[in-house]
Amino acid sequence: MKHFLLLFLFGFALLLAGCVNVNQGTGNSSSANLSDPATDSNTCGASDNCNVSPISNINKVEVIHFHGTNQCYSCKTVGAYAEETVNAYFADELKSGKITFAHINGELPENQELVAKYGVTGASLWLGTYSNDGKFSAEQNVNVWYKIDNKAEYMSYLKGIIEQKLAGN
Amino acid sequence: MDLMAFMEAMGTSGIPIVAAFFIGLMTAISPCPLATNITAIAYASKRIDNSRHTLLVGFLYTLGRMFTYVAIASLIVWIGISTQTIALFLQQYGEKILGPLLIVVGVLLLGLVKLSSSQKNDRFGALKEKLAHRGFLGAFLLGVIFALAFCPFSAVLFFGMLIPLAIQSGDSFVIPAVFAFATGLPVILFSFLLVKSVNKVGTIMNKVQSFELWMRRVVSIIFILVGAYYTLSKTFEMW
Repeated sequence: MKHFLLLFLFGFALLLAGCVNVNQGTGNSSSANLSDPATDSNTCGASDNCNVSPISNINKVEVIHFHGTNQCYSCKTVGAYAEETVNAYFADELKSGKITFAHINGELPENQELVAKYGVTGASLWLGTYSNDGKFSAEQNVNVWYKIDNKAEYMSYLKGIIEQKLAGN
Repeated sequence: MDLMAFMEAMGTSGIPIVAAFFIGLMTAISPCPLATNITAIAYASKRIDNSRHTLLVGFLYTLGRMFTYVAIASLIVWIGISTQTIALFLQQYGEKILGPLLIVVGVLLLGLVKLSSSQKNDRFGALKEKLAHRGFLGAFLLGVIFALAFCPFSAVLFFGMLIPLAIQSGDSFVIPAVFAFATGLPVILFSFLLVKSVNKVGTIMNKVQSFELWMRRVVSIIFILVGAYYTLSKTFEMW
């Protein structure tokens, strides 16, 4: 049993060491497929708890559903409802380019830059905000996952969140 | 207020420990942790003659989960490894390893593989017996390994909600520990209730020994089924 414990601890240490190696490897990325008016120095992922200064004069809001190649039911629903919300309530903003919506496969090499920019940690819904002076902030919305059983509530909630982002709040 | 709205309100509470507890409860009932918890309940309940043993196994399993969550939070909060790096790594490899591992443990517990009596295999056989009969260290290790398996929603809850909470509070111990306790709570409660009720029936029928044999078979099959679930879900779904 002692040997098994030692073996396990060694395995766990290897696993953690693997994390560090992956971290070192994330620098290799290719171009993203969305427009990028912001510089990387202004990038801030909400999951990393950056302090984001309030942005006025909003230039654009990006609503992005990140997912894997093969998606789980909840992941598909989160993305589908988000797309429906944007199409239903923000048709004019979509036309003018004030709002964009995209499903992004985070596993594809061409999307790695965007994954790194947003600080994506898995299947998720993100709102990226660009100000007129080129500042960018990204925020993951985790509350939508609690609302996938109630489409009307989901859409009404996300509509409110996008409106807040457009208003610079 | 429905259950999900309540869980959301409590999970986003301004009191970090309350939020961590409810994020943990939500994690416990989300698909992947639920599957691992069912396996753990089965594991903790196989000694149906001893409810104290069951409770201890449940607590050690929870302690194992705690170890993993505190370790991950510490790597992020204190060592500064990015949340993204750890999250994507664990989602990519955690379940890939877990599925086959559960199937192997299940097959060994079931006794489908008869090991020969060479010295090397005797050691392995002794380990198998200890895991099957005593189960304390096994329960702890089960908790450690199961906590490393993240599915999309549990990853959102842990990396999207709990870790930012831990970073905000600068606390990589209490908040993940409370979260871990909540994720293991159903295991402690359900395995205890199961043992109490099955034991009563077993005693009435005076067939505790026979019940134990069947319980062990059921546990083995649950391990294999949950292992197959993880292996298949990992084949068809990345993150």
